[in-house]
Amino acid sequence: MLWYKSLREIRTVTLVGIAAMAAMCALVVLNQQTMRAHADAPMTYVAYIWKSVYNSIGRDIFIILSIILGSGGLLQERAHGTAGFTLALPVSRRSIVFTRAVIGYLGVLAIAAVPIVVVPLASGYVGEQYPIAQNTGFFFLWAACGAVFYGVTFLLAHRLEGDYISVLLAIPLLMLYGVLLNLPWLSRLRMLNIFHVINGEDMPFFNEARHLLIAPLPWLSLAIMVAVSAVFITFAARRIQSLDL
Amino acid sequence: MIHERIIHTRELTKDYGSFRAVDRLNLSVRTERITGFLGRNGAGKSSTIKMLLGMIRPTSGTGTVLGYRIDDPRQSIEIRRRIAYVGEDKGLYGYMTVAELIRFTRSFYSDWQPEIERQLLAEYRLPSRRKVKALSKGMCTKLALLLALSRRPALLILDEPTEGLDPVSIEELLQTLVAAPANGTSVFFSSHQLSEVERIADDILMIDRGSAVLDMSLEQIRENYRRISLGFSTAAPRLEPLPGIEKVRCDGRQIVILASTNADAIAQLGRDRGAVDINVSPVSLREIFLETVQERNRLDQQRHLEHDDALV
Repeated sequence: MLWYKSLREIRTVTLVGIAAMAAMCALVVLNQQTMRAHADAPMTYVAYIWKSVYNSIGRDIFIILSIILGSGGLLQERAHGTAGFTLALPVSRRSIVFTRAVIGYLGVLAIAAVPIVVVPLASGYVGEQYPIAQNTGFFFLWAACGAVFYGVTFLLAHRLEGDYISVLLAIPLLMLYGVLLNLPWLSRLRMLNIFHVINGEDMPFFNEARHLLIAPLPWLSLAIMVAVSAVFITFAARRIQSLDL
Repeated sequence: MIHERIIHTRELTKDYGSFRAVDRLNLSVRTERITGFLGRNGAGKSSTIKMLLGMIRPTSGTGTVLGYRIDDPRQSIEIRRRIAYVGEDKGLYGYMTVAELIRFTRSFYSDWQPEIERQLLAEYRLPSRRKVKALSKGMCTKLALLLALSRRPALLILDEPTEGLDPVSIEELLQTLVAAPANGTSVFFSSHQLSEVERIADDILMIDRGSAVLDMSLEQIRENYRRISLGFSTAAPRLEPLPGIEKVRCDGRQIVILASTNADAIAQLGRDRGAVDINVSPVSLREIFLETVQERNRLDQQRHLEHDDALV
């Protein structure tokens, strides 16, 4: 039942996140005519969806929610005074941390999956079409890149006590990472740029002219991202293992 | 597996930086007894309990609960499976309802007793559908007690269990605790309410500054502890130390002695030294507690002042 506790902890953020993402996707699609008419240059519906959902507001909402879902855990419980009750349960600290990590990541996946449902449905309503395969492809990109944002915050949340410290620190850290990616020797390693991998920009698997995912996704790179996140979570568990709570 | 000593610690020590919260504590709690764990705020009670539960690691020393080592994370899980614990701050999940929290907690224990749960739910008048965060402090305490008592744990550890309870609930709780050993449950509880401890405890363990200052059965305390007042017609003489003399207070023509044993011999010593008025009376737990703690406090303050003077 640890999963139930973790689920209850993230339920509100996840549901609000899903609702926000769904509302954003629906608004983007429903306003497509007006927005495309006022665009600097004519653009296809597919390009409009990519630019609005996967390359701007949708992606930004997703990153922020991934970071928020990564916060929480036993240190936050200590601040709220519930850590004693949790630690008195006959389970290991490792189980508590990993269960929280898995359930939190499922929340990230649920939010990433929203465009798969909302964009095709809303597109049909306005008489447009957006390939569901594209939504699915971006889901995998979001899932892998989101894992990194989530993992970084999760680790910070298990090192620093306080409600919002991990979130407040994760954002500038990721911005710093974005700045470092402009260094010449790093910019050559394109797959390191998760801010580009997440929307396909400048990537060999993405056609910039048609704004479509065209080649197989970089599965190895995506798997490495998930693995990196798992390493962050393992470090978080090790930290909690030895901590007096 | 029955152990005569349900809790046993050896030289158990806990440091927080340069502050020593528990200082080489040797503790031995007997099975199927009610043990009152006494001490001032900050005496090291909660740190000791947390070490017993595996929440914090001892800096040095070792201990066992039900035969399982407290410093081994795996064995610590077995300890928590077999005991029930109600913490000082309760710390229940505010976002769950009463029913959800009961269901959640029940899932971790195979010895859960649904009929006790139902009985306590009715007795405590806990609203099943209300969120825990909307409960009063007293209600939270009752819910925490329900979660602990709805099983047949080998050991019940309670940290200030009566805090926030109304007198009727306190009475009901004390009755429950008194009945626990008959069901095979040992009780280890900390409290500031000395009258409650005196009413239900079989054994008393008193700690101060992390060290045990009294470890005795209440029966032994009642039998052996005495306050001996010696009145003299002239200035009170100096008495040579005798076994059993714990505290001596000299005030003009009177000497007041707190004796942990040997009261008759001490009274006889007073008589031999010319005491004209000898009064031997029993001592309450409250008096022993205050005498012990205040004396240590006084010595500590004196040491502090001497240290400050030396610095000046």
